Amino acid sequence: MNSVASKRLFQEYKQLTLNPPDGITAGPVNEDDLFVWEALIQGPEDTPYAGGIFPAELKFPKDYPLMPPTMKFLCDIWHPNVYPNGVVCISILHPPGEDPNHYEQASERWSPIQSVEKILISVMSMIAEPNDESPANVDAARMWRERKGEFDKRVKMDVRRSLGL
Amino acid sequence: MAEGTSTSINIPQLIAVALVGFLAIRWFLNKPSTTTTSSSSSSTSRGRSIDVSKVEQVSAMFPQLDRRTIAWDLHRNGGNVAATTERVLAGRGLESPPPSFQPNLPLPAGSSSTTGAGAAGGNGGGAVKRHNAFGQPDLITRYNLQSRISGKGKEAVPSEEQQRNAWSADKSARAEGLRKRREEMILAARRKMEARDGEET
Repeated sequence: MNSVASKRLFQEYKQLTLNPPDGITAGPVNEDDLFVWEALIQGPEDTPYAGGIFPAELKFPKDYPLMPPTMKFLCDIWHPNVYPNGVVCISILHPPGEDPNHYEQASERWSPIQSVEKILISVMSMIAEPNDESPANVDAARMWRERKGEFDKRVKMDVRRSLGL
Repeated sequence: MAEGTSTSINIPQLIAVALVGFLAIRWFLNKPSTTTTSSSSSSTSRGRSIDVSKVEQVSAMFPQLDRRTIAWDLHRNGGNVAATTERVLAGRGLESPPPSFQPNLPLPAGSSSTTGAGAAGGNGGGAVKRHNAFGQPDLITRYNLQSRISGKGKEAVPSEEQQRNAWSADKSARAEGLRKRREEMILAARRKMEARDGEET
């Protein structure tokens, strides 16, 4: 069981190293434990997150790829779909099967044919286009909807601060 | 004969009781674990954690109070904002929370690190601690890049060869490569931001 998960994670690490998607760097924190990864995601252009780099931690379950990893940003990111503690709420990270609340299609949720790369790309597009139907950060969602100017300003300030400027 | 029938009824009954008991215990033990697996969905996680908007509400009335203390009081009285307010106004003060109580509170909206520390003059220590507890260090600190940005200013941009994505057979070489790519990504972002600043001024 373990070796299946490890082999798959190692393979994915190799793929992501040889063919990294634009604006994404990811790999295990320590190769002795392939179940904890750290990823850097670049803020998408033409959004208030542009120019920023957002580190996140991915934790894989022992039965990966049957079950999805969890993802948590290690920086302050003001976003409707990221909990204040950094945990990312996105359908691709939800366990396979039907959504008990019927919000999501089964195809949007995790399945073993997805990959770390697909997760990171999905999160990148989530950063660009928040989904305010099921917000994880209610205050951020409200600000995004009602006071876009203030929202953008706050995000840009966080980006600058994160780069030490 | 009467005894015989009573025992033959008792044994299935005992089995039934044991089975129901076992199922009840199993259901009880499984319940928390199933909630945690689905905790990434918004509803369950919100139900367990402190209602941030209530903490915010009290915090807005009494900015001098530590938000963790407010959260603790709300946690204890079942999220009753009125009771917490009453308690503060009555001068009874709030109990300080145990160290194990670490709610996930966002930083106060709209207050940057400087105003946060400055505004709470009387409670300065608490405010600074609060920021450290919930704010995250910047990327330069996080990845120990101070030496790479100070002094040199304009660092040589690595050439194409160095940026080539290679997969080494050696484990430590791979780790080193990953670290370099990470650092380069952050430094490049910072250079770009600095260049943008330069254009604006």
